[in-house]
Amino acid sequence: MNDPYDIRVLQPESISLSRGAGGVMQGVVDGKPYSELIVFRTFPFLYTTQYLSIRDAKGEELGIVADLEELDAESRDVLRQELRFRYFLPRVTRVDSVKQKTDLWIWELQTDLGPTRLAMRNLHDHMQFPGGSRIILTDLTGKRCEIQDWKKLDGHSRKQLNDVI
Amino acid sequence: MPTFEKLPEEIRQFVGSEPLLGVRADLLHDGQFGDQWLTVTESDVSVWLPDGSRVLRLTVETIDDARAVGGIGGGTLIADTQDGPVVILRYTASLASVFNYAAKLIGALAKGEERPAASKNDFPRLCPKCANPLPEDSQSCPICKNNKKVILRMLGYAKPYKPQMIGAAALLILTTLVELIPPYLTKVLLDDVLQPKTMGSTLLWVVVGLAVTSVVLSAMQTVRGLIGVWVGSRLMGDLRKDIYSSLMRLSLAFFDRRQTSQFIGRVNSDSEAMRQFMTDGIIWVAGESLRVVAIFAIMFNLDWRLTMLALLPVPVMIVVSMTVWPMIGRRWYQQWRSIFRLNVLVGDSLQGIRVVKAFGREGTEMGRYEDANREVVRHNIRIEGMWQGLFPLFSFVAGIGTLLIWYYGGWSVLRGEITIGVLMALITYLGMLLGPLQWVSQMINWASHALAAADRVFEIMDTPSEVPDSANPVPVGRVRGEVRFRNITYGYEKHHPVLKNVSLDVAAGEMIGLVGHSGAGKSTFINLICRFYDPDEGIITIDGTDLRTIAQTDLRSQIGVVLQETFLFDGTIAENIAYSKPDATPLEIMRAAKIANAHDFIVRLPDGYDTRVGERGHRLSGGEKQRVSIARAIIHDPRILILDEATASVDTETERQIQEAIARLVKGRTTFAIAHRLSTLRNADRLVVLDHGRIAEIGTHEELLAQEGVYFKLVEAQKELSKIKGVEG
Repeated sequence: MNDPYDIRVLQPESISLSRGAGGVMQGVVDGKPYSELIVFRTFPFLYTTQYLSIRDAKGEELGIVADLEELDAESRDVLRQELRFRYFLPRVTRVDSVKQKTDLWIWELQTDLGPTRLAMRNLHDHMQFPGGSRIILTDLTGKRCEIQDWKKLDGHSRKQLNDVI
Repeated sequence: MPTFEKLPEEIRQFVGSEPLLGVRADLLHDGQFGDQWLTVTESDVSVWLPDGSRVLRLTVETIDDARAVGGIGGGTLIADTQDGPVVILRYTASLASVFNYAAKLIGALAKGEERPAASKNDFPRLCPKCANPLPEDSQSCPICKNNKKVILRMLGYAKPYKPQMIGAAALLILTTLVELIPPYLTKVLLDDVLQPKTMGSTLLWVVVGLAVTSVVLSAMQTVRGLIGVWVGSRLMGDLRKDIYSSLMRLSLAFFDRRQTSQFIGRVNSDSEAMRQFMTDGIIWVAGESLRVVAIFAIMFNLDWRLTMLALLPVPVMIVVSMTVWPMIGRRWYQQWRSIFRLNVLVGDSLQGIRVVKAFGREGTEMGRYEDANREVVRHNIRIEGMWQGLFPLFSFVAGIGTLLIWYYGGWSVLRGEITIGVLMALITYLGMLLGPLQWVSQMINWASHALAAADRVFEIMDTPSEVPDSANPVPVGRVRGEVRFRNITYGYEKHHPVLKNVSLDVAAGEMIGLVGHSGAGKSTFINLICRFYDPDEGIITIDGTDLRTIAQTDLRSQIGVVLQETFLFDGTIAENIAYSKPDATPLEIMRAAKIANAHDFIVRLPDGYDTRVGERGHRLSGGEKQRVSIARAIIHDPRILILDEATASVDTETERQIQEAIARLVKGRTTFAIAHRLSTLRNADRLVVLDHGRIAEIGTHEELLAQEGVYFKLVEAQKELSKIKGVEG
């Protein structure tokens, strides 16, 4: 019997994931099939594809996948896609404009998932700087976008950001 | 049919019957941004693309239940069907509330239950015109609305001081006009006295005139200054009072989400910035504009062609001012944010100074401070540097006008077209004119500073309390103390309920012990009784009256709390005990202290009941503080009593004393008690065991032990723990 108070690291061969007919992630963990599995990032900012907590539909942890890259090809793709769905964090490719209108800051953004727009009441509560040149933007409704490295964006975007960072 | 956007006709025509729900989702199946529509009818659930093609169709018979699974920044609507879970669609967090409702609706359809009605909160509150989020308390969109609102609202504070402001304005007009006299007198002096070299009484009179104007000028400036100081201080006092009372009015939920240290700065510095703008700023603008107009008039009269020439640089200056305005505003905000971060940092590490010292992390803290400090310095240099660069630029541009007058005016004098006096007067007036124009930038500074401050201040004032008082509160008088929970669901984050569908009836005078693991919802339970928060669903009643209809002051006067963190205010022990009843007599205070087993230790203190406690005063031990706070609850004489871990960390003897005090306190009152130590709850009439936000068991200590359920396990676990403690001791 495993120690219930220890973190269980799932060996790559003991987990296989696939996408069910209904579009939900399912899989077999330690020989037991699950019709629905949920993945949590334990360090959403620091390790985006490592230390992933795999849980059943009720939220009980089945184990930790140490590194997504270790899994077999199908599981890897399914898991990567599931992370994209669950952690909806479009990557900003261009900042069209940042404008302050009365009491709202409006961001017009181009992301890898298409154009979007964020509205914030102020900047200090809605911008996070997890380190380096990364910026996480969260709007009033909880919608998020990520700027992976603002120094690498084009000149126009940097100019827009210059006055708000 | 509840919709917040109209279902496109392309889709509508295929749906058939009138849909129960038609809403737009903002993500496609592959997670890209894009529109899809969900329709729910009596018979099926479908997803459509905007062109009318159907992406997914599920008949209601095949669905068992539906749920909205919240991710981070987005979510998924999933239907549980006979063939396993099916993803209906995905959406971003903006639409989470809509699809939570959709999930409930589909679930109810599938199970044949009563359909939930859509409430206003289920739909995102967006401005119909610009699709930006609306403020929480109003339907008017701040973006589509007039921008001058903030300024007007700020000026509203000056209203009570109208007579003084009018007086100041009158003086201002006078001083401005008087200021314009000396250059004219100089002209007279040059043209009529010095040039013709006619010695006469004129020289004396002109000099006397100059002397009188300067005396009058100084006198009026002094009076105006005094009025300004008086009105300014009053205004500032009013503002501070309003900000502070708005802070007090706000519900706890507001403070849960923010660091409290930030408000200290807001109350003081933001109100100062607004004051500065209103008194100095507005008077200044009014005065200077008046002066500019008057000077224009005089200069045109003297020589309009030269005046036109001199004014050539003016548009340039105004354009430059206008372009730097927004830039400066942003940089000020940046500067404010960096100082704000620095303050938060200091506040945090000083509050946690024991932890810092204990782990020996002074170096790290200094490093963090150093980084934040460097940011402040950088922003400071940026904004101040911009400032310093701007000034010389303005004076240079202004200087060009003067040069032009010297040159062409000189020519005119040589040709005899104007007198030397007119030239000198023109140059003096021009100097007076360009002065204020340079300061337009200073005005920008003031205004943007003040507007930013006003924005932040009004943000606090406009935040609605999450537990608003009802417009017509029901007078309850002295309640009996019968408390009822009806299907209560509550979460600090709306979609993460801490209490789930909890129902409980408590008779008047009954003592209820709340038991459960940490995070089971005990404290939340208590916060709801105090109405620090309102339940998301269900109602709580006291003596059959809905909590929401009772005035909060009324309610709180019936509820007494002894909290886990006993907080004593700066003041004497007596003042702290009489906190809820400032007119309590010394005898009443002593009686309360006696019941709380606190009288003896207080009397033994050198300063007795007058001992100063709180941050700057005498340090009481944890047990002593707790007994003082019990006395505070006793003098309050509440009908409903709340004890939160009242005996957490004290020695056995102190605990016994506190237990005694509590036993006396709870007599005849409806009591809710939380304690980690189950032994402290042995006096409870009933124990309510909470587990993951639900009531797992209710009963007396013995009954629950006999059941061998959750409570039994908790007791066993604690026995183990005390064994270990015994070994340690």
